[in-house]
Order: sequence, then structure tokens, then C-alpha cells
Amino acid sequence: MRFKKKECVAMILAGGQGSRLMVLTESTAKPAVPFGGKYRLIDFPLSNCVNSGIDTVGILTQYQPLQLNEYIGNGSPWGLNSSNGGIHVLSPYSKSASSEWYKGTANAIFQNISFIDRYNPSHVLILSGDHVYKMDYSLMMAEHVKNKADCTIAVLNVSFEEASRFGIMNADENGKIYEFEEKPKVPKSTKASMGVYVFRWEVLREYLISDNEDPSSSNDFGKNIIPKMLGDGHRLFAYEFNGYWKDVGTVDSLWQANMDVLGEEPVLNMRDGTSTIYARNYANPSSYIAPEAEIVNSYVAEGSKVYGKVHNSIISTGCVIEKDAEIYDSFVMPDTTIENHSIIRYSIIGENATVHANARIGDNPQFYDKHKWGITVVGKDKVVEQNKILLPKEVY
Amino acid sequence: MKVMGIIFSNIYDSSLGELTNHRTVASLPFGGRYRQVDFALSNMSNSGIYNIGIITKYNYRSLMDHLGTCSAWDLNRKNEGVVFLPPFAEGNTGAVYKGKLEALYSAVHFINNDAYDYVVICDSTVLCNINFNDVIKHHISAKNDVTIVSSKSKVDKKCPLVLKTNGRGRVTEMKIDVRAEEDSHIGMGMFVISRQLLVDTIRDSYSRGYIHFERDFLQRKFNSGALKLGVYDFEGVVLHNSDVESYYKNSMALLEKDVRDGIFLKDSPIYTKVRDETPTYYKKGSKVSNCIIADGCVMMGTALDSVIFREVVIEQGASVKSCIIMQGAKIEEGAQLECVILDKDVTVTKGASLKGTPKNPVIVKKGEVV
Repeated sequence: MRFKKKECVAMILAGGQGSRLMVLTESTAKPAVPFGGKYRLIDFPLSNCVNSGIDTVGILTQYQPLQLNEYIGNGSPWGLNSSNGGIHVLSPYSKSASSEWYKGTANAIFQNISFIDRYNPSHVLILSGDHVYKMDYSLMMAEHVKNKADCTIAVLNVSFEEASRFGIMNADENGKIYEFEEKPKVPKSTKASMGVYVFRWEVLREYLISDNEDPSSSNDFGKNIIPKMLGDGHRLFAYEFNGYWKDVGTVDSLWQANMDVLGEEPVLNMRDGTSTIYARNYANPSSYIAPEAEIVNSYVAEGSKVYGKVHNSIISTGCVIEKDAEIYDSFVMPDTTIENHSIIRYSIIGENATVHANARIGDNPQFYDKHKWGITVVGKDKVVEQNKILLPKEVY
Repeated sequence: MKVMGIIFSNIYDSSLGELTNHRTVASLPFGGRYRQVDFALSNMSNSGIYNIGIITKYNYRSLMDHLGTCSAWDLNRKNEGVVFLPPFAEGNTGAVYKGKLEALYSAVHFINNDAYDYVVICDSTVLCNINFNDVIKHHISAKNDVTIVSSKSKVDKKCPLVLKTNGRGRVTEMKIDVRAEEDSHIGMGMFVISRQLLVDTIRDSYSRGYIHFERDFLQRKFNSGALKLGVYDFEGVVLHNSDVESYYKNSMALLEKDVRDGIFLKDSPIYTKVRDETPTYYKKGSKVSNCIIADGCVMMGTALDSVIFREVVIEQGASVKSCIIMQGAKIEEGAQLECVILDKDVTVTKGASLKGTPKNPVIVKKGEVV
């Protein structure tokens, strides 16, 4: 079958297990983790694609794909249910010569070369399924084309201390990259890779094939493809992004990113009206806020019923916060019930969990040594029994 | 056995005054995020009725905009789905429909489809959560010609259809536009009829110049003994939004748990058009009490006992009490509203004050600035 030629096809790497999110991803892929009251992580790259005019998206997934598949469906919530392009969930499959799981990020794309070839794109955009940010990829694409680049890598200026946790791009004043360092001990610059790449498909295709033939390669973009291209003298450019960006791979960063949407002028503004983040919506009635409720600096999504206190928190769709329950500085995922007199502080409560009456979950940081304190997590579908106490950092 | 559905979108437009100046009663917003038609459509979709004709006459742009491809109701189907039935340009119904029977004539081609055995006919002013499969089962086992869905809940004003039965569900007396007496059944504007009988009736009535479904068909035939008329007693929550006063009263009734729980059932959700708003933000200093609130609002002021639709902004120091605030309203600093219905996209300027009564709520028209 032949499709119309596409300028750009986006490939979203959504295969990660997200093991550092522990109980939150026991039975779901990391990109399907809830965020911000009604979203899931995958909504960010997907909506960014749509808002950037990209209408052909492949989602590479292999870990617990059920919930993610169901969530993506035919792509209509993102306007990607089109017959020329649209959204495609790409799981590993058996081929005549071999059949294998996706071994690394580059291998996942390699195994789907034929998918990309069908659209004969000029460029391929490689994205991650678990980053929270709003970005117009078309601006980056314009730079990429203007620079006649083979590869353009989105970078973010991070602090000097943070720089050693990232892949760092050292570039000249025109943005041309002359050196790449993976997690350098003494960084030369603070331009950290965001894991957002645009490649000329022709060039990338060649590198994917030769990378696959190299048994010593770990088939990773950051570790193998980028350094090799650089070594071969290809034109690699850094594209500086100045907005909000967060890798939410850990419990603390997931919690922090959720807190970042709160406030009157939040660092991550979900309400700015310029770039809508789309999500699959379920048929929930409007929320009900009872006379005894008290809600301060918080988001409450539709389908929720609030009878208790909610401060500096996010209450997702379909939750019930019973009378005299108190929630402070926490992220409550969809369809969760918090029963009366339970108090929750600095926690993430997983989807469809139930916290029975009079439980105490998490605590304020000021009462603890720095290394002893952390976000408390209640997993998906978990039931916390009455009067239970969960300390900071505890995972239930 | 296959069933098709017919929904009337603007038979009762005139009774809702200014609220239906620019829209059909079907597209009248209700309950924070819904339009009235959502209830009829969702009930049909949840009951496995997927071939639905919506009869409409004028002002239907808002309705078409709301329904889109009908995917939100799971009705964007290859073989079935929703069909809009505006009047035929060449038909005899060129003027305004005077009654449902006349309106049905323009749908006769749609209804005359041998694949279907029964038709569920539904108004869009009576809101409830009903399973039509139960009604159809009852219709068949009771061997009725027409089954009228009705309820015994008290309505203290004139009702379009009031019925008495023999205790076994067969109608013994039928009155139109009267006050309901104790123990009578009040018609909910929902009927089940065999498709063939409906087609024959429409054709016959057209040639005789009959107009009203209830008066010219049901009552006339029933009185002459030619129609076996039965009721199906619906025991759930029923909201008759027949005029502005009842629309207001029923909106406020949603603040009661029993009413909400009776209308919004987990197993049979009411679907509506999806808009991609963020959840509602409650700023420090806001005070919200006993309210229904849709997504996308920013609450900075005070809201008491109100129904608040999508994307409403209530600024600091502003207060609304016992109000219906439709989509996109902006209530500026210090404004005070009580017993007011704000239609879509209204701006209430700084310090303005409006006060109505539950019997006579103040209505502010779409897009106005007060």
C-alpha cells in the first residue's frame, strides 16, 4: 500500500517499564501513568505532535501494553484517527527471519523501518512517552531544515549540578554540536538532551541498519547512534528549548511535576489556552462540591465528589473525598476513594485505590531528616485499611 | 428484533422562552456539562438503539455543532448512526411544524425501513436514565399497540399527557394538558410503537390533515376503541423541563444526592461532547459550597448552591448564589448574582448586581455584557 509522502513522521518510545515508579506501574506502562487530574503522560508528546502539525505517529510499546492500547484506541481524542497517517501502536512482532523484543531505543525504530518507509518521510521525529512538556516541534523542524542538519537534538539549559545526570551537548555558537558526553562528571556545558531528536530519515535509516549489525552496540540513540554520527562528521545541531520540561521517571519527579501545575502563575501552565493538551475523556458527570468542602489552590476534575478538605493538591476524575478527609500537597489519581477522617500529606495515591477511614498517609518534610523524607505512594488498585499509618517514603 | 429511535429536537421550543431563542430545546445546556439531547441519545445508545433520527426544524446549528460525528455517544457507525431530519423543502410541512405527527411525515422515509420492528419516540425535554430494552420487553409482553413511558412522580402543573390505568398497565382514561390527579400516570414523552403501525399512522394522518401525535392519533384512536394503549411505569428520577421555572428548579434539584445518583448511573453513563478543558482550578480564597461544577473553570470568588458549566471564571470578591451559570461566563470582581440564569458567554462586569427569585429567575441572554 502506498501513502502520500509525509514531511515528518513521529515515533514515540513508550516501551519503558518505569520500574522507578514502582507500584504505580506494576500493571501499566509508564506512558499510561495519570497526570494533572485528567491526563496521562502520553498525552503530552501526542498533543505536541498534533499542535505542531504532525499527523502520523507511531507509538512503540512492549511492556504492559493493554491499558495503553485501550487508552490510545483509534486516536480520535487527539484528532489522529485519520486514514492517511494517524496513530499506530507498534508492538514487537515475529518476522520471518527473527523475532525479538525491542532491545534498545534504536532497535525499536530499526524494527519498524518498514512502517516509516510506507510514508517515505523526509524527517523522523523521535520522542519519549514519559516527558511532561509543551513544545512546538515545527519550530525545531524549521531550524533543522534551515541548518541542513542530519540530526537536530532538543536541549535544555540545566544547572551545573544537574548536568552530570544528562547527556550533554557541546555546541558552537551556531548550535553545531562538536561533542557529546553522556553523564559527564565535569560537564563542559549545561545543554542537556531532552530525548527529542529530528533525523533526516535517509541518514538515520542507514545508521539503524549498521547499528543493528554491530553486536557490541546496545542499540541506543544516546549511547550509540548519536556518537557514531558525530564521529562520522555528520551535521548535528542543538536546538535550545526554553519552556518547562520534566522527565517524570521517578516518584519524586512525578509528584513535583504535578505540583508544578498549581498556583496562580504555575511553571507548567495547563490553562494558557495556546496549546491544548488533549486526553481521552470518559463520561463523568460534573464534579460536586459539598457545603462542608474546603478547596484551596487545587485542581478538581469532573466526576469527583469533594466533601472534605483539599489543599495544594490535584484530585483526578472520578474520585470521592469523603467528609472530614484532608488532603495536602498530594496527587490523587483517577477513581480513588478517600474515606472520612483520613489525612494525606505529600503523597501520590494510585488509580482506583481506596483509603479507608482514619488512615494517615505521608507527612510534612519539616519534621524529618532530609534523607529520611520522601513522597509516600499508594499503588494502583490498592486498599489501605482503616487506621493504617504510612510514613514518608513508604510505598504501599 | 431491531429497534430504531426518533428524537424530537424542537417541539417545545416556545415554552422555554429566551433560553431557546437561538437553539433547540434539545441543545439547551443542563447539569454543568450536558445538553438536554444527551439524555435521550445516551439512553438509546446504552439500550443498543443505534439507528436514530433527530427531527428538527430550525435553530439546529447549535445542535449539529454539539453532536458532530456522534462519536461521543458511540453512534458514529458504519451501518447505523444518527441521521438529521430537517424538513423536506418540497414537502407540505414547509411552514413551522404544528405537531409531532406532522413533523414525523418528513421522517417517513427514514422510518420506513423493513430492517426494524419497533420505534422508540422520545422528546428532549424529559430527562432521566432509562433502559429502553425493558420498555420494549414490556411492550411486547403486554401486547400493546402503543406503550407510553410514564411516571407517578408528582408534577404540580399542567402535564401534556395524564393517564389512568386499570391496574394492569392498560390505559382506561387519557387526558391532554391537564393537572395530574393523585395516582395518575404522567406521560414522559417517550413512546414505543411497532414500526409498521407508525408508518401507517403517519401516512393516514397526513392524508387527513392530522397534526398532533397525542391528540389526533393516540387520543382519537383510543377514544374510538381502536388502540390498545399501555403504560410502562418508570420508577427512577424524572425531570420535566417544560418551562423556565421547572428548568431552574430541576437544575437546583441536581444538588440533591438522590437526584444525582438517580440520573448519573455508573453502568449507563450520560455521554456528551468532549471539550479539552483542564480540570477546574480553585484558587486560595475561593469559597465553593454545594455546587455542581464542570471542567475548565477558575474559581476565585464565592459560589453557593449553583450549577456551573464549563470554562466559567468567577473573579475575586464576586459571588453567585442559587444560579445557573452556562459555559464561558465571566463574573468580574465584586459582582453579585442570586437566582440568575446566565446563558453562554455572558460577562457580568465589576460590581454589577442581579437578583431574581426561584419562581422568576433573571435570564441574561447569550453573549450579553451586564
